[in-house]
Amino acid sequence: MIHVHELTKQYAGRTAVDRLSFDVEAGEIVGFLGPNGAGKSTTMRILSGYMPPTSGMAMVDGHDVFRESLEVRRKVGYMPEMAPLYHDMRVKEYLHFRAELKGLRGRDLRHRTGEVMELCAVTDVRRRVIGNLSKGFKQRVALADALIHRPKLLILDEPTNGLDPTQIRGVRELLRSLREQHTILLSTHILHEVEQTCDRVIMIHEGKIQACDTPRNLTRSLRATSLVHVELQSATDVAKELEALPGVRKVMTSKTDKGWRAYALRVESQTDIRESVLDLATAKGWRIRELHRQLPTLEDVFVELAAADSGARPFG
Amino acid sequence: MCLWNWRRRTPGQGHLDNETMRVFWTLLKKELRAFFVSPVAYIVLALVMVLGGVSFKAALSVLESAPSEGSIVTWTFHAQWFWLSYFFVFPLLTMRLFAEEKKLGTLETLFTAPVRAWQVVGAKFTAAMVLYAVIWLPSLGNFWLLDWITGGKVEIPVGALRGSYLILFAMGVFNLAMGCFASSLTSNQIVAAVISFTMSVLHFLLGVFALVVGRRLPESMVEAVHYVASVEHIRLFTQGLIDTRPLIYYASLTLLFLTLTHQVVEFRRWKL
Repeated sequence: MIHVHELTKQYAGRTAVDRLSFDVEAGEIVGFLGPNGAGKSTTMRILSGYMPPTSGMAMVDGHDVFRESLEVRRKVGYMPEMAPLYHDMRVKEYLHFRAELKGLRGRDLRHRTGEVMELCAVTDVRRRVIGNLSKGFKQRVALADALIHRPKLLILDEPTNGLDPTQIRGVRELLRSLREQHTILLSTHILHEVEQTCDRVIMIHEGKIQACDTPRNLTRSLRATSLVHVELQSATDVAKELEALPGVRKVMTSKTDKGWRAYALRVESQTDIRESVLDLATAKGWRIRELHRQLPTLEDVFVELAAADSGARPFG
Repeated sequence: MCLWNWRRRTPGQGHLDNETMRVFWTLLKKELRAFFVSPVAYIVLALVMVLGGVSFKAALSVLESAPSEGSIVTWTFHAQWFWLSYFFVFPLLTMRLFAEEKKLGTLETLFTAPVRAWQVVGAKFTAAMVLYAVIWLPSLGNFWLLDWITGGKVEIPVGALRGSYLILFAMGVFNLAMGCFASSLTSNQIVAAVISFTMSVLHFLLGVFALVVGRRLPESMVEAVHYVASVEHIRLFTQGLIDTRPLIYYASLTLLFLTLTHQVVEFRRWKL
């Protein structure tokens, strides 16, 4: 569906996107992840036919985004960041206008407008002026607009930006229901979001791809360490013994409570030491009431990748 | 450099001629609607009607006080009041066109729909032109009213009237194109209005200056001076003298500014 090869975009000497190459298959939901200014929006703008790349090429459904811009735009439903809309129009009127621009006519136009308003839950506000709507409604009107011409590819730039948790869940469910008909490329800051919705994650930083994999593999292959929490009963402090286990980097004693001691073990990412902890406990005769592993989240990956690149300066 | 790539048609777009006009029409409807739901159209209409009435009254006083060469039409379009309304119309009508879309970010949604830049520029310009034509219509009523009240005793030269409205339209279209261009340069409507106003006034003053200097110039250059002098065009046309040279002058400048606007709007598609 999307084929990007050596895509580069420069603005007045600054390279926003640097020789990016990736592919997206039909029917996939792919998450675009990266800090602000990483080049996510630029890539999406190029793919939606808004502006051409400086060099390299991008194809959507077999059409070059620059040479066959109109064809591409007919196949892509694009929702820009911040969901820009005409504030003086009413919701239904706006969607009618957009549908007409995108080539829908007559009965199909009216039917489809009703359908997307229903899908994005904006039917109740269809007569209201867009400028007076809340952020959540505006966002959904923009999403309805992106969907209206039944595009093969949906490109959504931060679709959940500025929404409350209930609305975010609503959007997530909507996206899942859309995967039957559309290929979706979305960008977001909310890592949890990506883990829940996407088949694949493309992480980009300073215009370059840092990682491209399924969310699960990405967290697994992570350099970031995972944590193992263990709570056991013993007469003495056993931190030393736990630290001696292979793969453990550091042991933190979190609390003690009537003979129960809780420890947090920082372990290397690829190792699972739960069994050896249990074996050790059995051998020493400790009683265990909690033992679980906390996997690194995409957030950890994100922070780590960003930090590694900027020389580990958190606010540099 | 792929500046000219937008001209290149891809195969399979031949059937689009119908579709192209439909898109244009959709955009035009939206632009016209935007004028009439905002107070701008009504403010401009009121302004032009009031000042039109005042300049008509001024013309009547001139004719009342002493016998004079010009007709009621000539004097109406030479009142200062007329020029006052004339210069304020263009910034008010055009400042919103591109600046607002830039500010809201809707140019991005607009240009990711299957829409060509010339359709957008054309639709916005045409909407402004339609509105401009509409706002001058009520001023025709003044002449009709005079004719009706006096029972046809005051002679209203029809040729002069035709000429006046023709040149008013031609000059207006040119100034609107300049306004479109000004609006495409910035995302601030006030800045757009100031640029548009300045360009209109400068063009007018250039004409006046050329006329003044032109008297001292050799005969061969006088004609060139007359090309840019709006005052001179108005003087001739309000006498009923319809000259095609100024019409072509304004039409070409209109095209020039619309092309410039198109280039500015398409700037993002330049490969730099």
